Amino acid sequence: MKDSVRYGDYLRAIGAGRRELSANAILPPARRDVNGRPLPPPAPPPIRLHPDEIAGLLRPYVSVRFMDQFRAVVPLALYLALFQILILRQLVDDSWLITAGLFAVILGLMFFMEGLKLGLMPFGELIGHTLPRKSSLPLVLLITLLLGIGVTFAEPAIGALQAAGRNVSPELAPYLWLLLNEWTGALVLVIGASVGLAAVLGTLRFLHGWSLKPLIYASLVPVLGLTLYGAGDPELAKVMGLAWDAGAVTTGPVTVPLVLSLGIGIAAAAGRGDSGLSGFGIVTLASLFPIIGVLLLAFYVAGTVTPTEILAIAAMAGTDMGALAWYERSPGVELILGLRAILPLVLFLFIILKFVLKEELPRPREIWLGIALTLIGMCLFNLGLTYGLSALGASAGSLVPAAFMAVPDAEGSPLYLYGVGLTLALVFAWVLGFGATIAEPALNALGVTAEQLTNGFFKKRTLILAVSVGVACGIALGVTKLIFDLPLVWLIVPPYLLATLLTLVSSEEFVNVAWDSAGVTTGPITVPLVLAMGLGFGNATQAVEGFGILCLASIGPIISVLLTGLWARLRAGLQERTDRRDPSTQPALDVQSPL
Amino acid sequence: MKDKITYLTDVALITCIVTAGRGDAVIQAAQTMGAAGALVYHARGIGPRERLGLLGIAVEAEKDVVNVLVATDYQDVVFEAIYRAAELNRPGAGMAYITPIERMATFVPREILERVTGPGGQS
Repeated sequence: MKDSVRYGDYLRAIGAGRRELSANAILPPARRDVNGRPLPPPAPPPIRLHPDEIAGLLRPYVSVRFMDQFRAVVPLALYLALFQILILRQLVDDSWLITAGLFAVILGLMFFMEGLKLGLMPFGELIGHTLPRKSSLPLVLLITLLLGIGVTFAEPAIGALQAAGRNVSPELAPYLWLLLNEWTGALVLVIGASVGLAAVLGTLRFLHGWSLKPLIYASLVPVLGLTLYGAGDPELAKVMGLAWDAGAVTTGPVTVPLVLSLGIGIAAAAGRGDSGLSGFGIVTLASLFPIIGVLLLAFYVAGTVTPTEILAIAAMAGTDMGALAWYERSPGVELILGLRAILPLVLFLFIILKFVLKEELPRPREIWLGIALTLIGMCLFNLGLTYGLSALGASAGSLVPAAFMAVPDAEGSPLYLYGVGLTLALVFAWVLGFGATIAEPALNALGVTAEQLTNGFFKKRTLILAVSVGVACGIALGVTKLIFDLPLVWLIVPPYLLATLLTLVSSEEFVNVAWDSAGVTTGPITVPLVLAMGLGFGNATQAVEGFGILCLASIGPIISVLLTGLWARLRAGLQERTDRRDPSTQPALDVQSPL
Repeated sequence: MKDKITYLTDVALITCIVTAGRGDAVIQAAQTMGAAGALVYHARGIGPRERLGLLGIAVEAEKDVVNVLVATDYQDVVFEAIYRAAELNRPGAGMAYITPIERMATFVPREILERVTGPGGQS
């Protein structure tokens, strides 16, 4: 008898809940032909699962994706609601409806993102990889342009812009009302064409390895010129906020990956894929060009229609309100908008694939499932946008001014002394911007890229912090603009000039990261929330229009990231100089230390 | 002799393949059960995803492969901890296996060597 037992053997012997099974037992027996040579086994049948096994398969898959969106939406919503209840002492109206709406937003984004990953993205990548090899450059660029228009229609945040138009009064800002209500199709088309143009230019930049700086200067000149020109006209000045916000809205979760995958595919086909910087630039241009487009459209409208005619149109539209068809009323219109956003894009991609490339879809069932998910997600998101995010943002926006001024809806307003209340409102806006940005998943990805790009010199945390502070300051500034009804031109032009100056002295890497960070920050949750809040705020403070917060939120991070980059470089330079001065003492130490 | 190589025997390699991003949970479970360290690498898995039909979307193709070397005394506890942490009883979660290792060599602190084999490392 053994006098000692190995612990491992003991564990194995007592181990309960284990059993051993030969792997040969669960597979069909190996077959051999008459000569005794092994035959290949028959193709394995599809795996069949019991319902509880399917639940086990799907549970972690769904919960991870649900939690991703949950983490992005709920803290912000809670912050808004708690601020209203605790600081403003107002109850949130229709809280159940808003909760249901927020739930729809979470579910909608979850479906949408997953559908994008399964359906539209592989589609876009396939086209991006094969198109440049099979077609000439002009055709490729034309398709890029059309794709830019298509993705803009599909962008969820664009719906928020259209929804925001319902709150604009035609008397106070006639052109703004016209653009957002009667000309929405043209407006989105112009924005889309600008994005397409930006994609074309960005792709050319990949191909020829142009520096981003001259492109930024070249596009800033018309942007600022048109803005200054428009600011001279009191009626046109009211469209300015919309034009600048349009730039921030376009660069969302559909546009960025799809346009990027196409651009990178083209660059890779030309053998210039891996410069590290190639992914950047399109986002920047796609957020600058729409400003030019919308401004030009506004000038065109102003040239053809007079304010009095607009009032007549508005009066007519007002009388029609009584009998809207089901597809123009609330639950219906969101679904139609959702379908209209996705289907043309899918059709366009499909036509290119079938008739230009003459290729078949890889894994077609998966891709169609993804597209169906995208559709469901878009419709749910649109519903949630109306009942949840927009409602919450609008209610917060209309109530926050109660802190420092008399607001009819809020009892006992102003709640605080003017100075205290004003500070509270600004701090509220600042924290909102900071919280919304720091949770943005796209920013994390940008941070990783920036860290790799600068060889760890620019830390991910530094970038996220810099961008968040920039957005927060931008949003606070935007709220200040609404409270005091400052003209947007004087808030927009000087920061952009400052950014231009900083661009001039910064290195190419930082310029790329900084300008792109502006587009990345404005995601599908931030945009509707901030837009609705701005409009509500504008209504409560009797400002003419509530736009302009978003664009200030995009210039903020550009400046803060450029400044951080310059500071980091300065510090690195100082370090190097001290190191260079030190060597006189360094060798002496080396000699002494062994002794 | 000064640079005599110390071979370690009775070592097992536990390899666990899980969905990308879940590797950290596996390593943590392995370490609480006495694994000294782990090696993780990224891989693409092929198989069940294709055979599950549309349900296959729930199985990520991107995988983390976690390698843990343990003494054979520990292999069953560590393996069980990994199995639980990775929830390998779920479909599509991944797999784990144990490979016997003939011998391995690495740095062993002299203090431990002396404690096990007596002063001077003679055995």
